[in-house]
Amino acid sequence: MDQKRISNATLLKIGILILALVLPALPFVSQYFLHVIILIYLYMILALGLNVVPGFNGLLDLGYVGFYGIGAYTSGLLTYHFGLSFWLIIPLAFLNGALWGVLLGAPTLRLTGDYFAIVTFGFSELVVLFLTNEIWLTRGPLGLPGIAPPSVDLSWFGGPVWEFQGELPYYYLAIVMVLATIFVMQRVQDSRLGRAWFAIRDDEVAAVSCGINLLVYKVIAFGISAAFGAMGGSFFARWVTFLSPDMFKFWESFLVLCMIVLGGMGNIWGVMVGAAVLVSLSEILRDLLSALGLPVEIRFLAFGLIMVLMMRFRPAGIMPIRAVAAQMRAGRVKRRRAKATASG
Amino acid sequence: MFLQQLVNGLTIGGIYALIAVGYTMVYGVIQLINFAHGEIYMLGAFFAVTFIVGMGMPFYMAFFLAMLCGAVCGMLLDVIAYRPLRQSPRLACLITAIGMSIFLQNLAMLIWGSRPKPFPGNTLPAWFNKTWHLTHFSLTGFHLFIFAVTIIMMVGLHLLIKKTRFGKAMRAVAQNKTMASLAGVNVNKVITLTFAVAGAMGAAAGLMVGAFYNSLYPTMGYVAGVKAFAAAVLGGIGSIPGAMLGGIVLGVAEAMGAGYLSSLYRDGISYGVMIIVIVFIPAGFFGVLIKETKKSI
Amino acid sequence: MTPILQIQDLSKNFGGLRALQDISFEIQENEIIGLIGPNGAGKTTLFNCVAGIEKPSSGKVIFTANGKPVSIGGKKPEKVTALGIARTFQNIRLFDNLTVLDNVKIGRHCRFKSNVFGAVIKTPGQRREEEEIARSAVEILEFVGIPGRGDEIASSMAYGDQRRLEIARALATDPKLIMLDEPAAGMNPQEARSLMNLIHRIRDKGITVLLIEHDMKVVMGVCERVVVINYGRMLTTGLPKEVQNDPKVIEAYLGTGAFNAA
Repeated sequence: MDQKRISNATLLKIGILILALVLPALPFVSQYFLHVIILIYLYMILALGLNVVPGFNGLLDLGYVGFYGIGAYTSGLLTYHFGLSFWLIIPLAFLNGALWGVLLGAPTLRLTGDYFAIVTFGFSELVVLFLTNEIWLTRGPLGLPGIAPPSVDLSWFGGPVWEFQGELPYYYLAIVMVLATIFVMQRVQDSRLGRAWFAIRDDEVAAVSCGINLLVYKVIAFGISAAFGAMGGSFFARWVTFLSPDMFKFWESFLVLCMIVLGGMGNIWGVMVGAAVLVSLSEILRDLLSALGLPVEIRFLAFGLIMVLMMRFRPAGIMPIRAVAAQMRAGRVKRRRAKATASG
Repeated sequence: MFLQQLVNGLTIGGIYALIAVGYTMVYGVIQLINFAHGEIYMLGAFFAVTFIVGMGMPFYMAFFLAMLCGAVCGMLLDVIAYRPLRQSPRLACLITAIGMSIFLQNLAMLIWGSRPKPFPGNTLPAWFNKTWHLTHFSLTGFHLFIFAVTIIMMVGLHLLIKKTRFGKAMRAVAQNKTMASLAGVNVNKVITLTFAVAGAMGAAAGLMVGAFYNSLYPTMGYVAGVKAFAAAVLGGIGSIPGAMLGGIVLGVAEAMGAGYLSSLYRDGISYGVMIIVIVFIPAGFFGVLIKETKKSI
Repeated sequence: MTPILQIQDLSKNFGGLRALQDISFEIQENEIIGLIGPNGAGKTTLFNCVAGIEKPSSGKVIFTANGKPVSIGGKKPEKVTALGIARTFQNIRLFDNLTVLDNVKIGRHCRFKSNVFGAVIKTPGQRREEEEIARSAVEILEFVGIPGRGDEIASSMAYGDQRRLEIARALATDPKLIMLDEPAAGMNPQEARSLMNLIHRIRDKGITVLLIEHDMKVVMGVCERVVVINYGRMLTTGLPKEVQNDPKVIEAYLGTGAFNAA
């Protein structure tokens, strides 16, 4: 029976992948539609990255947007000033993100949960302040315009220099990046490292008694999370070709946090579903509200309300991790049995 | 310049203190960082303006009524959003708090629009405008009013905590909910009333700031809230005297920093202080280190 | 022969509270030692000081395995585990959201070393390690008597099985000394007998056992020597039968009723 369950899920994933690959060829698909899907892919990467910290390690991170912004501006500035190739920027942004993750994490991850959350929050606010005020570097509130799109330089082999145009090249690049992120997360999850993280999440004292050095593993988690956030940011910069500091406010951190909570924290597929749901919701609400003639900002109102209701009625999310799902099933069975005996 | 910045610092510091005690009181009883507290501060200002402009109320009456509304909002926040999650994991409560904060901010934007509004002119008591020019600095009646309100509220809060039964109940709940409940304390009621006190003080702070700087906008709670929270952390989260002191110290530090260093990074000072305090002296001035709410060995 | 564990004048204060005062005793290799005393006597605190969760206020804890004595008082708990001391907890601390097998695999953590790169790239070394970890984890589950349940979620197990799982996890760290904190708590006589059998088998593998227990049948049944502490002080130490009849010990337990188990 187990065998069948696994292949159903795998079939579903393969089906979705095929659908994703052929999507641009479908008739009703406009550039705008592709743009939204790419946004979903981007947030999937961010959600997978953030998931490492609260999802795998049980630590609250309120400052994820800080790394996203660092990655975006690293990518944007390197392109703007030096015209660096995007294919070089991706690993650079990734490593830079990891570096900042380690720098921030090493002194602060020994703090208890709430304090750590506050520090991450403060960090991301400082990043925004820095981006806004260091005008000589970032052009501050004026923003950084005209960031060149990625290009594939085949002139080495006597071929053309082909620059990304339209949404299509970004679309497939985003798919590749998402797949790479999923790959890393799955490998890591099923390894000694991943197990150490889950141990830390479930019971720090017991984890320590098994020989796990809490600080080292938390810093690794934080660094990896930051690296993927920065990588997402580097893509973002060269996709929207314009950056400004107010794109990296606390709201983004909260949004990604909502995605992983809504989707099912700790579950790779769950957080991806959460990303897809929230981005879609945001766009649908935007369309709906402008069609109704209402101010578009109300969707934030709806978001806030949705999160409050989710926490009240389904805090485990849409696709909780296996253990939680099992507990919920067991709870339902117990309640059904109790009801049956009560009424019978 | 020093004395003038000191006056400014003490003024804004008093405001931070008023908001900070709200954070710290709530954290003390339910170990939750009430992200929506800044929104009650903001609502205090907007309610007051609505009372004054919409209903023609005089300033002092609007002031007290706004405080009352703040108290009610605080209680509603607890009863509707937080109380159902008493047994839930901390992350759920935190997300709810942030969710409520966003909800309230945007609700205010819907109702009052997102552009900054001035405080209705000529509705403040006349003596607020009276200015005393001393050798090195000047002082207005409004400054004195803020000082007076801040001091009265701080003293009042102190008496409430130390001398009343409610205060004792609050301290009991903060220390150990189970024991307090076994000792006959209605824990939920105490928590809700704590939110009421916090809300009233926050609303008063918001109203004074809105009037003093002559500018109200729906996101004003966000930045002030973060800074006040930094002040609460500085003083030691959970400690009320700490929050008072932390607020004043942060206000003065900010004024000095803005005056002597860079006014651009004015906000950065709070974040910087917060991070440095947490990393190097997490307990702040008076705080006891946050107890880990995990099973004991 | 150097004793495997030497506790010398160990004291631990929590503020004004003196949890342990001048505790001294030794454990020889391969012994099964019982640590008994009324509730609140300081037994778990002693475990914590040895395991590294608490830092002794004064005194020494010396662990000698492979002929090299190491002073472990104040060392970090993960280091102590790596040196070869494992422990279980009074209140069972399992990784609730993980499978039974994963719980034991985590116990194997300190004996392997593959890191993030190995995980992502799946080097042959990492693959071998994972196979070995899985294999040894299955073996340990069989050893403690809960075979074939690797895929169950830990928190869904029955209480007695959870205790076994915790012991399995501790054994997975490859210890020379294992400290069991009230392993028989909540067990019926049949389970307790099975536990005693397990403890003997653990000792037969060459592992020294130190156990805190209230169930006197278990203490009498497995322990070769017993150390008694009360109010943080050493009361006496000796053979189980001697201790059982020692008037000081009887007086310490008087009124608790825990003593009349035989």
